[in-house]
Amino acid sequence: MMSVLKHFAEYDRRIVYLALFLVVTIMLMTPIGLPISVSPSTMQYYDVLEALGPDDRILAVLNTEFSGYMEIQSGIIASIRVMVEKEAKICIAVAHPEATGIPELVLSAIKSTMDEHQYTYGEDYVVLGYVFPNEASVASAAQDWHGAIHNDFYGNSIEGTFLDEINDWSDWTLISDYTTGIQTTALINHFGLRGAPMIVNGIGVEISILAPYLDTGIYKALLQSMRGGAELEYLTGHPGPGMTAMDAFTIGHYLMILLIVIGNIGYFGYTRNAGRNVE
Amino acid sequence: MSQILRSKELNLIAMFLAFLAVFVPYFVNVPALDVFSTKLITITAITTAFTLLLAIYSQFRRGFDFVRRKPRGWIFKVYMMTAILLMLLFALGGLETGPYHWVMYAIITPLSSVNYGILAFYLASTCARAFKARNTKSILLILTSLIMLFYQAPFTGVYVNLGPLGIYLADTFVMAAGRMFLISVTVGAIVFGVRVLLGQEPSVLGIGREE
Repeated sequence: MMSVLKHFAEYDRRIVYLALFLVVTIMLMTPIGLPISVSPSTMQYYDVLEALGPDDRILAVLNTEFSGYMEIQSGIIASIRVMVEKEAKICIAVAHPEATGIPELVLSAIKSTMDEHQYTYGEDYVVLGYVFPNEASVASAAQDWHGAIHNDFYGNSIEGTFLDEINDWSDWTLISDYTTGIQTTALINHFGLRGAPMIVNGIGVEISILAPYLDTGIYKALLQSMRGGAELEYLTGHPGPGMTAMDAFTIGHYLMILLIVIGNIGYFGYTRNAGRNVE
Repeated sequence: MSQILRSKELNLIAMFLAFLAVFVPYFVNVPALDVFSTKLITITAITTAFTLLLAIYSQFRRGFDFVRRKPRGWIFKVYMMTAILLMLLFALGGLETGPYHWVMYAIITPLSSVNYGILAFYLASTCARAFKARNTKSILLILTSLIMLFYQAPFTGVYVNLGPLGIYLADTFVMAAGRMFLISVTVGAIVFGVRVLLGQEPSVLGIGREE
């Protein structure tokens, strides 16, 4: 019995790595489709997207690296799919050099929806590329859009696109931020605080920092991490990478709980007693 | 002339005027000032974008110094400089297809994803080791973490409604900590800004050491 407790208290960290690797890999390769519940915050986010229409102009900012994209890709794809379904006009801007490759992945994931709604480049959507490297660039775009931005990602002039209708922050119907935290504060400072409606999809560790802005009304809604993305996929009826990952997400959480419980059994059964014996 | 341009007083005056040009239009509606402020911000945005060139120059200067001295790991500097040059070259050949596209999706994407993904293993290991009920505070921490872990697992909500408890914790303790963090950062930034304007942080202007 004591040896078991000792093992619980002092197990090799590689066992944790192996257990987590197996759980995630097996669940991703053979998803069992565990049912999921939808949180109120995702419902709120979905309601904001549902209210969009063809006259709306959305600035979607990819405030993320490729690494962070893996966590929020389900939210990005599901959100932009709803925007396309609502036939809103979308401008995709990027705040990290790595993210310049993301729009292509997102647009190819929703290609069938775009074809269905006859989305045309320039008229309905524009990809800007890396236009927000720092706060000054965000401030500049908020105050004088055409003074700051002339070309799209492919080097073509933005003249003649739907962006002709944009002059400053007040011309956007919605700022949709997908973030690991890069230029999010700058977007809040120069768009949100002036009154441009904002929604946000953030990675897990950002949620506690973003939540106060939801409370103040700067954010109309907050989509939380990959789980929020999966819930949005469920609500929109388009299962994607989020829902595929939810089995691994759930079982991974339960594994963490199990490891904490095992660690505490080992602590009370062995480590604490061993300490007393030494004393 | 260069002595005058480098003087602390002149730099501080220029910075203070630039600050006023951007700050005042938030409170006073003077169209001419607004236009000037907007132009100034655009000029700043373009100027700061060019710092990317400065960063590349610095990386190469430092990299060549490394290669000349050949300390441990110098070969990685060669690799980095070669990669920068190749990506610059590739980008000239087009962004949608070709080598740039291939490097972006076949190398950068998986490397960046792996870099982020392995954090989960460290987090899991640390969490399993650190969360021990050693005293009352740690017991409270563990109970909260268990509730939040169960709440965050999407499957739990199907059978056990931990929603009210999870939302309560998020809306009270987590929100309080989040607000405290944001207020601290903001107050710190304001204090730092005032110190810069008063000339107590000359290192910002590159004209002396921090006091």
